[in-house]
Amino acid sequence: MKSKKVISLLAALAITAGLMAGCGSSGQTENTANTEGAADQEAQEESPAAEEPASEEATTDEAAAGGAEAVTIWYYWETEGHQVALDQVIQDYNASQGNYQVTAKYVPFADFKKQLSIGASADELPDIAILDSPDHASYVEMGIFEDLTGKFDVGSYYEGAVNSCTVDGKLYGVPFGVNCLALYYNEDMLKEAGREAPTTWDELMDTAKALTTDSVTGLALCSVQNEEGTFNFVPWLWSTGADSYSIGSENGIRALTFIQNLVNEGVMSKECINWTQGDVMNQFIAGNVAMMENGPWQIPTMQKEAPDLNWKVTLIPKDSQYSSVLGGENYAVINGGKVEGALDFLTYATSEEKVKFLMDKFGYISADKAIAESQFEADSPYQPFVEELNYAMPRGPLAEWPSVSDAISLAFNQVITGTATPEDAAAEAQATIDGIVK
Amino acid sequence: MGKVKKMFRYDNAGVLFVLPAFIYMLVFVGYPIIRNIILSFQDVSAGNLVRGVKNFIFFDNYLELFQDSVFRTSLFNTLRYTVLCLVFQFVIGFALALFFNRRFSFAKPVRGILLVPWMIPVTVTALMFKLLFATDIGVINYILRSFHLINKNIEWLTTPQTAMFALICANVWIGIPFNMILISTGLTTIPKELYESASIDGANKTQTFFSITLPLLKPTIESVLILGFIYTFKVYDLVYVMTSGGPVNSTHMLSTYSYKLSFEMFKYSKGSAVANVLLVILLVVGVFYIKATTKGEEA
Repeated sequence: MKSKKVISLLAALAITAGLMAGCGSSGQTENTANTEGAADQEAQEESPAAEEPASEEATTDEAAAGGAEAVTIWYYWETEGHQVALDQVIQDYNASQGNYQVTAKYVPFADFKKQLSIGASADELPDIAILDSPDHASYVEMGIFEDLTGKFDVGSYYEGAVNSCTVDGKLYGVPFGVNCLALYYNEDMLKEAGREAPTTWDELMDTAKALTTDSVTGLALCSVQNEEGTFNFVPWLWSTGADSYSIGSENGIRALTFIQNLVNEGVMSKECINWTQGDVMNQFIAGNVAMMENGPWQIPTMQKEAPDLNWKVTLIPKDSQYSSVLGGENYAVINGGKVEGALDFLTYATSEEKVKFLMDKFGYISADKAIAESQFEADSPYQPFVEELNYAMPRGPLAEWPSVSDAISLAFNQVITGTATPEDAAAEAQATIDGIVK
Repeated sequence: MGKVKKMFRYDNAGVLFVLPAFIYMLVFVGYPIIRNIILSFQDVSAGNLVRGVKNFIFFDNYLELFQDSVFRTSLFNTLRYTVLCLVFQFVIGFALALFFNRRFSFAKPVRGILLVPWMIPVTVTALMFKLLFATDIGVINYILRSFHLINKNIEWLTTPQTAMFALICANVWIGIPFNMILISTGLTTIPKELYESASIDGANKTQTFFSITLPLLKPTIESVLILGFIYTFKVYDLVYVMTSGGPVNSTHMLSTYSYKLSFEMFKYSKGSAVANVLLVILLVVGVFYIKATTKGEEA
């Protein structure tokens, strides 16, 4: 009888544990969804003085119910430094006027698209979304973004960034900041191997071979089969002269063959297909990888985590032309929400002073070319990214971009894992893309 | 007065008691299912989710799906994964239950400890197995190498065939305690007198197992297998964390593919069609479960 009791108790425990595990994924979102919480924590770590505005927000939140209109922002940055910087701008804005009370909510990147889709059909959207630029066109087609044509001066912004939020000649967003990919290399390892930074694919292959040892692979690039992977693949595709929609061409096949050769020669690990850009960076600072393709947003973390590591950044080696991919986020205003308040905040946040503050804290490059060019010192590690931006092109903009992107990342994954020849992978991807883009 | 009295007659009062549960089911289970079925008969994508006409194309989404090789792979994967997981976790769980049913010191605490895998959140287990099966830094390759069973690291999670194997290993590990505990409970319900009289009659261990233990455990075994099937068939988090359906779509399950279509590619209708295929299969299994359990009650 006693054993039965123990068993039922254990079973009950197990069931409750199971229930909690079930809630885990959504519960986690809520825990981290609170910027104020994260900001508080960070503030305590960095400087006690910074804590005040965060707690002030909590109190003014209640006051907001009385007079000021509440304006909400959704964003997906998980880095605490990013959250704190954005929060700072929001605090300053709230303190500067009394009409609107802005609050920001963190939605994890993996859930961001889902939340926007669900929000759109359930009519529960924020007033401002800060979203990944290649997805912009899809949501414009969904009809949830306000037309901002003529409301913001984006004349001095990078053309690619403006294009990413422009559909049919109308402006549906404001670029937040831009970034692109470039090649990082471990200076000490290159010196030891007696090599210079590679500039062409042939040199890259040679250098990577020379750098590969038992414990070090020459090159790593994030190759996961989703948008993040596509982001890392397209510079190689575009460098051959192919565009996103002509992967089936001879040039497209050459790009796939080159990546496959990197893997076959053992200078790039197959495990890249399970490495996010953050994982790639971790492998690089751990000294397991000698060169990597990555973005400027890794720099603050790298400087903090591995201050003694000697690394430099250079342009991604080229096949027939230098090429990189434009990334970054755009602000978008949701129509049907509190458009006036959203516009008022955006006007404030896109002023030169605030842009400089945000870019500096984020490790981003301003989407405003005029600001970007004087943003960094000549020897700053960010400077190569500003140069690389001249060769960076946006993905899309196309409402069906997610499907095109899926075809491209599938093709690269097929050649990396060796499940298809470059010719077959290219042909299959081309057939998919032709079915989407007529 | 008479009318009110009539309303509270025994039979009608029963209906009233059922009503809250019925309304709850209708709103929180019935509505989403019906909404999802309607969605799968339409052509909803990014363009007409919020505004615009949602055309009814009826079974076109389903027809398209059955020509889609990724869908066929994920359907086959889900079945293969479920059956293999069930077989291994049931056999091992059964063996452990029999083992811990014997009276020896520490039997109870050890059985308690064995429940731990089932209590750990699945995402944590998934991350743990992802690290165990990593190619260059993974513990499994390290062990195999130190025993000279392999010369070259096995690329567990980056080769289609072995990735599925890794997923099954992880899920079997999670599922064993569930099987063990339910079968253990079942074993305690078998009267000891039966075993005693069997031994007096001179039955050996094998005979008692097949003539007493198995037949009397039948209702428990049916429940374990059917609940296990449902739990395993709708797997999502484990796959999403360990492989995200990769490499090259080779480990997509119905659930992960449905998510990908709906929320990564904005093909809402096609995604809901995949979810409905999942629903229909589970519905069939669920009917079997209800039949099996009600039969048990009657007996």
